[in-house]
Amino acid sequence: MLQRLLTAGTLAIALPFCAHQACAHEGTGEKGGRLADAGPYHIELVTRDRRVEVWVYDAQEKPVSPAGFKGTAILVVGGKPARIVLAPAEARLAGEAAVALGTNPKGVVQITGPDGAAASGKFN
Amino acid sequence: MVPFRSTAAPRARAVALALLALPFLATLASAHEGHDHGAPPPPVSKTIAPRGEAASAAFELVAIPGGDALVLYLDRFATGEPITDALLEVETPAGPATAHPAPDGSYRLPAPWLATRDPKDDHLDLVVTVTASGDLDVLPLTVALPRAADPARSGHAAERQDGHWLHRLTEGLSERLSARDPGAGLAAAGGFVLGLAAMGLMRAGRRAPVLAVLVLAATLVLGATAFAHDAQRGSVDHPEVRAAFVPKPTDLAADLAQRLADGAVFVPKPTQRLLSLRTQVVAEGAFRRTVSLPGRIIPDPNASGVVQSSVGGRLAPPPSGTFPRLGTRVRPGEALALVTPPVQRVDLSDMRQRQGELDQQIAIVQRRVDRYQKLSPSGAVSQVQLDEAQDELKGLKDRRTALDRLRQEPEVLTAPVGGVIAEAAAVAGQMAAPGQMVFQIVDPDRLWVEGLSFDALMPASDATARLADGRSLPLAYQGAGLADRNQAIPVQFAIQGGTEGLRVGQFVTVLAATDAEQRGLALPRASVVRSANGQDVVYAHIAAERYEAKPVRVAPLDGARVLVEAGVEPGTRVVVQGAELLDQVR
Repeated sequence: MLQRLLTAGTLAIALPFCAHQACAHEGTGEKGGRLADAGPYHIELVTRDRRVEVWVYDAQEKPVSPAGFKGTAILVVGGKPARIVLAPAEARLAGEAAVALGTNPKGVVQITGPDGAAASGKFN
Repeated sequence: MVPFRSTAAPRARAVALALLALPFLATLASAHEGHDHGAPPPPVSKTIAPRGEAASAAFELVAIPGGDALVLYLDRFATGEPITDALLEVETPAGPATAHPAPDGSYRLPAPWLATRDPKDDHLDLVVTVTASGDLDVLPLTVALPRAADPARSGHAAERQDGHWLHRLTEGLSERLSARDPGAGLAAAGGFVLGLAAMGLMRAGRRAPVLAVLVLAATLVLGATAFAHDAQRGSVDHPEVRAAFVPKPTDLAADLAQRLADGAVFVPKPTQRLLSLRTQVVAEGAFRRTVSLPGRIIPDPNASGVVQSSVGGRLAPPPSGTFPRLGTRVRPGEALALVTPPVQRVDLSDMRQRQGELDQQIAIVQRRVDRYQKLSPSGAVSQVQLDEAQDELKGLKDRRTALDRLRQEPEVLTAPVGGVIAEAAAVAGQMAAPGQMVFQIVDPDRLWVEGLSFDALMPASDATARLADGRSLPLAYQGAGLADRNQAIPVQFAIQGGTEGLRVGQFVTVLAATDAEQRGLALPRASVVRSANGQDVVYAHIAAERYEAKPVRVAPLDGARVLVEAGVEPGTRVVVQGAELLDQVR
């Protein structure tokens, strides 16, 4: 009895140390795009030719429905800024650029949540 | 008795465990580390207006909301140089807009949406596209906003108010734990002990003491809740609550350069420009220590010469009519002066005598030649005799001419090298002694420097010469003597590049590298300042408007730079101009 209690106590003390495993979000996301932090959200940017798609996740990496969101992507293409307006489409925010975007263009994606608060994520 | 024991014992154990684990579980919920999901940290001083900053590898941007406009300051990231001719396109809540340059070097973005914003918003997210002299960057910018209303409560605290009491309790406890507060640890330990006590008593079958223990536990829990509330309200050490006491939002003049509580120096952008602070990204390298030697400029021995008279005599101008003046450019072989050797009186009579003798002989031989010429066609005199007489006459005449010429022809002094007359001592009619220097010729494009060194210098080491007016000349090592002069070794260097304005004999300071190599960061001498406690410090530019004094160990490097051996990491932006002024900020 006392032994079991001690085991449980040890477990309870050990638990918080495991909790500090940070949810690292570097590299590519599950849609194959790049990840960045944007305020309370994490966003994933996928650029394919002229198409720009942005997926929104919450802090626990769970997908967030894009309904009510607005977005703007400003990407640097060939030394010039390209401004792309993003609108909700299915499970993501999507937009179309006027020129073909190269591989991994650097820039910033700004999203405005349903509450009107804007947040931006930087992609290098 | 038995049923109570069998069911209550595991329950009590569970309660004890839960009590123990609760404070730790709270950390699980907020364990997402690595970035901040909320507003940017508000300024920590009362006299700093809320602002926002962003930086990339090329630019550094600061935005200060002021009334119905946003004032933006743009600088180069590495040097801190203001950029006043950039194009700033800002993605605002009301769509894209362009910030216009103001006369004071800032940019002004009209922001009517600042007045109509939600009063609860404490920050603003903007995207700024910066185009400046070929560089393009997109910067996300989060600007902290002054609170318009309800200044007593920060967002975090308000959110905490309507949470569940248990959540509040655990959060309060976890905050206490993270603040290393012994009270929370004591509470946890007390709970554990109480649980154990309750267990033991239940096993012994006593009900009244169990109840007493439970009441004690309840008191403890309620007490903990009470001090958790206390922590929220009092909050001396919570920056988000303290930041609520920011001054009037439109008061830009409230920004004062100041030393913050953490030792960093806050310098707002307008003040940075006033002090003209400049930074440099430091890189580690290997440097040779230099020594400074006294030196003077000498002419290149292969491109200079002196004109001396070989015989003593009277100086006369050259056939061109005038002596060359100082600074006249001369070609090699050009006649510069004439020296007429004087003839002594005794020599003169000797010469007269000789002259008379020769004249006499010439007259005799002349007559003989005439006679032979008449007789030779008849064959009375042989042709051989006539030829001999003619040769003799010719020889005598030659000797007579040479005697005349010797009396009147002076020595011509010619320029041995091309160049400029650096020294002239010629006066018409002056008697020059043999070996006396009449002219010195120097090629002004080929000058050397001779320094006196106490160390043996490496032949390949590079050196520079510093003039009194601050100019420096690159030097190439030519050679060093082995014989001491004034207990030092003469070392000669050729001046590389332009030699305009230099003169022979001018004193210079030669900075020559020694062969001892040191590793470190080279910084201009002006970037190291002495702090009040006598330590050498440099100022690192850690954020757009923050500078941090870093104590360093320095070693002398050369005239203009010092070597930082420790204290600064490579890649740090170090203030190289205006550090002295920055150090005065209190």
